[in-house]
Amino acid sequence: MSRNAIQWHQKPGFPDTHYVDTSIYTSEELFREEQVKVFGKCWIIACHESELPNAFDYRTFQHPAGVPLIVVRGEDMKVRAFYNICPHRGNTLLYDPVGNAKRITCIFHAWSFDTKGSCTDISRGKEGYQERFKCEDAGLREVKASIGYGGFVWVNTDDESGSLQEYIGDALGMLEEHMNMPLEVFHYHKAVVDTNYKLWHDTNSEFYHDYMHYFNRITGMLQPGYFDRKYTGYPNGHASVGSMSVRYDKYEGSKNRSVGWPGLAPGGWILIDIFPGMTYNLRTSVLRMDTAIPLGPNKVVIEFRGLGLKSDTPAERAERIRDHNTIWGPFGRNLHEDLLGVHGQGIAMREGTDSKWVIHGREENMTIHDEGGMRHFYAEWSRRMGRKAYDPFGTNPGASPAPAKKLATA
Amino acid sequence: MIPKQSIDELIYRSCMRLDAKDFSGFLELCDPAFRYSVTAFSPEIRKEMIWLEHDKAGLKLLFDNLPRHNSDHSPITRHVTVYTVEREGDAGNARVVSGLQVFKTALDGGETTLFAVGKLYDTVKLDGGTPLLVDRNVRLDTRMLGIGYHIPF
Repeated sequence: MSRNAIQWHQKPGFPDTHYVDTSIYTSEELFREEQVKVFGKCWIIACHESELPNAFDYRTFQHPAGVPLIVVRGEDMKVRAFYNICPHRGNTLLYDPVGNAKRITCIFHAWSFDTKGSCTDISRGKEGYQERFKCEDAGLREVKASIGYGGFVWVNTDDESGSLQEYIGDALGMLEEHMNMPLEVFHYHKAVVDTNYKLWHDTNSEFYHDYMHYFNRITGMLQPGYFDRKYTGYPNGHASVGSMSVRYDKYEGSKNRSVGWPGLAPGGWILIDIFPGMTYNLRTSVLRMDTAIPLGPNKVVIEFRGLGLKSDTPAERAERIRDHNTIWGPFGRNLHEDLLGVHGQGIAMREGTDSKWVIHGREENMTIHDEGGMRHFYAEWSRRMGRKAYDPFGTNPGASPAPAKKLATA
Repeated sequence: MIPKQSIDELIYRSCMRLDAKDFSGFLELCDPAFRYSVTAFSPEIRKEMIWLEHDKAGLKLLFDNLPRHNSDHSPITRHVTVYTVEREGDAGNARVVSGLQVFKTALDGGETTLFAVGKLYDTVKLDGGTPLLVDRNVRLDTRMLGIGYHIPF
């Protein structure tokens, strides 16, 4: 039976933890607040260490809190991160996404900085500033940087934040043995999608949408063990999904796989979501990393990386690339479907469409089609934002019908 | 000798058939040894990337599986200009370089937007009576393809 306007807006008959108000995906006000309270406080992956192999290599990164960053490997081989903003007239210091610079020199007025962020030269400094302003006053703004968990370069713009290790905790324990060797990025592309970043992370946090993927239905959902995979929640909003044996041989054209991944059982699949928008996805012979960088409430750029082992032979690397492209490349079978899904959500949830609720109500003992992974995310989101995901503006009065079950935590 | 016009028309026809989703018709233009790839260079990771790579059988499988997948059904149009045709001495092949632009037209309203630019690097077999594609490398300059696409360019 269809519903009228009143019924459409009525709160779903679930505990408050089991649905969200769609304004959390559309509100400009909430997006600006997320930049400060979520992205400005969390550790975020900026790049991978293999993208900075040599001293003075740099990489630029548009941090989701809004600040443009430079990630650079110093002469001492330490990786540091700075605002990509000249302290003089606010110009961009490094324009290219990647390069090698012994000195970072602003093209505007030629102020120079070293890879430790110290200002090394102010053009005609004494003539213009006399003794009133010196290089010591003009260092770059440094932000915390740390390498870890598969060799990724993490940054945190909050000077008061805890360590990366404190932030991750045990969340990546399932992957530790699979990432204790040097890795290398072999695939990188970005996608800009008119949708909210949380919807992309949601897609990475629930497997019920395997109905959308012919590949996953045929190789996973229809195979033994699929429904035994379980979600585990960790502090700070991270969550993992246990492995299963994916039957790649069931998809025509995807039969011959031999390289695999160290320690991962054939057909194994481990997925770990890191709050607020990063996902480790290890299956077949490839580790995929998604990094969601919101550009607005209804626009996100997603960085996709595919990684193999640094020690790969050319033949091994070629097979990893083939495995990656089958489902995850820009022409891959699954990635396009996932992006199509969140693109559709972005259309349906635009401001003014009268979308109201998104339901996270499935309970299946935290197994694969349970929506506890998303509930775990929104519990953390609500804690950091100081707002209820089901009622972010306090405009949805009404009692909850039942107390919420908590996600089992490790 | 197979005239240049026949080589040009092979390139153009291959794109027209893909535009029309006439996949079997496209494969008829390909030699049994046909290889297809989409590649791009990533300045971000300073690496050559392969985004798709298939032999003729693999490409046929990809086409055959398309109806089983959920896809963006917006049609695309490949605009190609053959730049150069270089015949290879005794090999009976020609190397063809073409400019490529791919446009996407929305089903709802029919708005057309530029989807991708790049080049086609084709090898054409000339030693039969009819020119056939033996290798196609779609070399993309565009690396941001939005939500992506299931049908090769």
